[in-house]
Amino acid sequence: MAKQYEMNDSSVVVIIGSGAGGATLSNELAQKGIDVVCLEAGPRLTLADVVNDGPTMDQKMGWHDKREGPLVWICKTVGGTTMRWSGITPLFQEHEFKALSTYGQFDSGTTFIDWPLTLEELRPYYDKAEDKMGVAGSGDIPDFPETNNYKVMAAGGKRVGYKEITSSRVAINPVARNGRPGCQQLAFCNSGCAIGAKWSTLYTEVPAAELTGHFELRSESMAMRINHDAKGRASGVVYKDKDGNLQEQKARAVCVAGNVVETTRILLNSESTMFNDGLANSTGNVGKHYMRHMFGYALGLMPQPVNFHRNTRQSGIILDEQYHKPERGFAGGYIIETLGLDPWNVSHWIGGWGPENTVFTENYTNLAGIFVTGEDPPEATNRISLHDTERDENGLPVPVIEYRDHANTLAMRDHSMKMSRAIYESLGATDFAGGDLPAGAHNMGVARMSEDPKDGVTNRWGQAHDIDNLFVSDGSTFSTSAAANPTLTIVALAIRQADHIAERMTQKTL
Amino acid sequence: MNDKQTTRRKFLVAALSFSGVAAGSLGISFLRSSAAWAASEEDAENLATMGRVAQLLFPHEGLADSVYGEVIGEVLTWTASDPSTEGLLNIAEEALNTSLGEIWATATEAEQLSAVTALQDEAFIVGIREMVRFRLYNNAGLWQHINYPGSSKEHGGYINRGFDDIDWLPEEG
Repeated sequence: MAKQYEMNDSSVVVIIGSGAGGATLSNELAQKGIDVVCLEAGPRLTLADVVNDGPTMDQKMGWHDKREGPLVWICKTVGGTTMRWSGITPLFQEHEFKALSTYGQFDSGTTFIDWPLTLEELRPYYDKAEDKMGVAGSGDIPDFPETNNYKVMAAGGKRVGYKEITSSRVAINPVARNGRPGCQQLAFCNSGCAIGAKWSTLYTEVPAAELTGHFELRSESMAMRINHDAKGRASGVVYKDKDGNLQEQKARAVCVAGNVVETTRILLNSESTMFNDGLANSTGNVGKHYMRHMFGYALGLMPQPVNFHRNTRQSGIILDEQYHKPERGFAGGYIIETLGLDPWNVSHWIGGWGPENTVFTENYTNLAGIFVTGEDPPEATNRISLHDTERDENGLPVPVIEYRDHANTLAMRDHSMKMSRAIYESLGATDFAGGDLPAGAHNMGVARMSEDPKDGVTNRWGQAHDIDNLFVSDGSTFSTSAAANPTLTIVALAIRQADHIAERMTQKTL
Repeated sequence: MNDKQTTRRKFLVAALSFSGVAAGSLGISFLRSSAAWAASEEDAENLATMGRVAQLLFPHEGLADSVYGEVIGEVLTWTASDPSTEGLLNIAEEALNTSLGEIWATATEAEQLSAVTALQDEAFIVGIREMVRFRLYNNAGLWQHINYPGSSKEHGGYINRGFDDIDWLPEEG
């Protein structure tokens, strides 16, 4: 039986969110004997609740609260977006921690900074994250098997001259490990892995934390605001419980990991007479510099069957384009990854109507797919704010998301589409579709780490510059986006943050 | 089943034979839709028209008309349940007729396409298109037509069923 804490127990660390950041931090702290209460807005599913049906699972675990602006594809469920993620785990490169020094500002609109930490500093935590998540091809974990979709991408990639191609670097078990089974190629990774072969905090970090006796998960508990004391230190979190009643859990420290949109909302919604513009926002950076990566998808209509519906959605990457090579006509790099889609998403992503659209679904078994993710320049005008008057069913202000692609992003996407087309055409593809995605899934930057408090919201540990017992523990802290899918780095940063919090507690400065 | 229902069913089946497929393939899907049963004969004509619209939007040669009929029945049920979309299919049919200056349902395929193209950016057409897309590409009949098997969990996934069976790629670069 997991521990239960009193509402007025102010010795606990309250963590908002149970996804990659929140649940990892929870477990790391609990393992050190630190008491944690984790508030999760969504319900706690079991593997028996996970079915191979995209729309059904979207209803069970998607985040559908009212929002304005472009779509954001995240989850409201225990495990957060680790339930939906594909599991792909590339590493950041050294130069990506030094984005401003490497690229310079593109124009008066970009707001690049360098990270207040280096790859060298993060590397031991990357190692721990890979071990924790079971990244195929890392440590003594075998490579991930080569799927049909991967074999097409790899064969075409070689033909266009790419060298750094692997089926690994995915947090899905190639073989059974640590109580979780090997992948059975169910091919519904983005609807929750029904057997638990893909790393998700629902069945790893959360139960591991509960076993310590230092952790309480409260699901269906929607955090509303963070309170502070007369000294301006975080003192508790107000949330709406399962029955719709408002509660306040007192806290020694508060860590916010609500996945960027919600992290922004809770910080801005916690305004007070002392903090007029919301918590941690004295420099006005909360919600700004919102990044969601250069995204793109490509579908090749191949001359013979591929059957990508038999494959993990994303297991396989090409790294040759990840480097900073300005001669390509843009700064930063991108990563080419496999992509599998169900029939509706094939039709929906291609968009439009008529035979130009249906030729792809009609020949569904001959499709091969690529996903690209690349460096996204931060801009102050790409931001998340709160609506002045609109309120949602919880009475919370509706988040307003403003985002547009920079010219650098457009040039990078063009290049990635040209290369993807070349990969497939080298193998005789008869048709090709590609372009932007209908939703953002990689959310970063709204509470970014900065050396100088005027440039960001948090310091090199993810602690708010303004408040020494308030932390941000999700992708919001990314100073810049890099090219890689963010989850591995979120986990590495959460492990590192747990060490820092524990050390401060030992030193009695927290 | 009383006489009135029998008549209505016959009418529905006839009305939904929008591209000449045997009526027998159309009946069952519409029995599933309570909205279709509640519909007036005018509504049934509207359903048949919009089934044809769905087919022009997402043409799959050889796919049974009943699949498009089933999808439109589901869209009707959905729109009828929401005040903001109620009557959407009727609005679309009227707009198609107006755009063409004649009854769209009995026009030639070229004329039908030109009217749909002329209205393709109208919010109500986009709305219907996306409702159709979602239901069509999650429809078991469509899946069967394109050889998409859906759920794999109960079959143990594809680890022993061809996840890596591609055999036509070149050996090396």
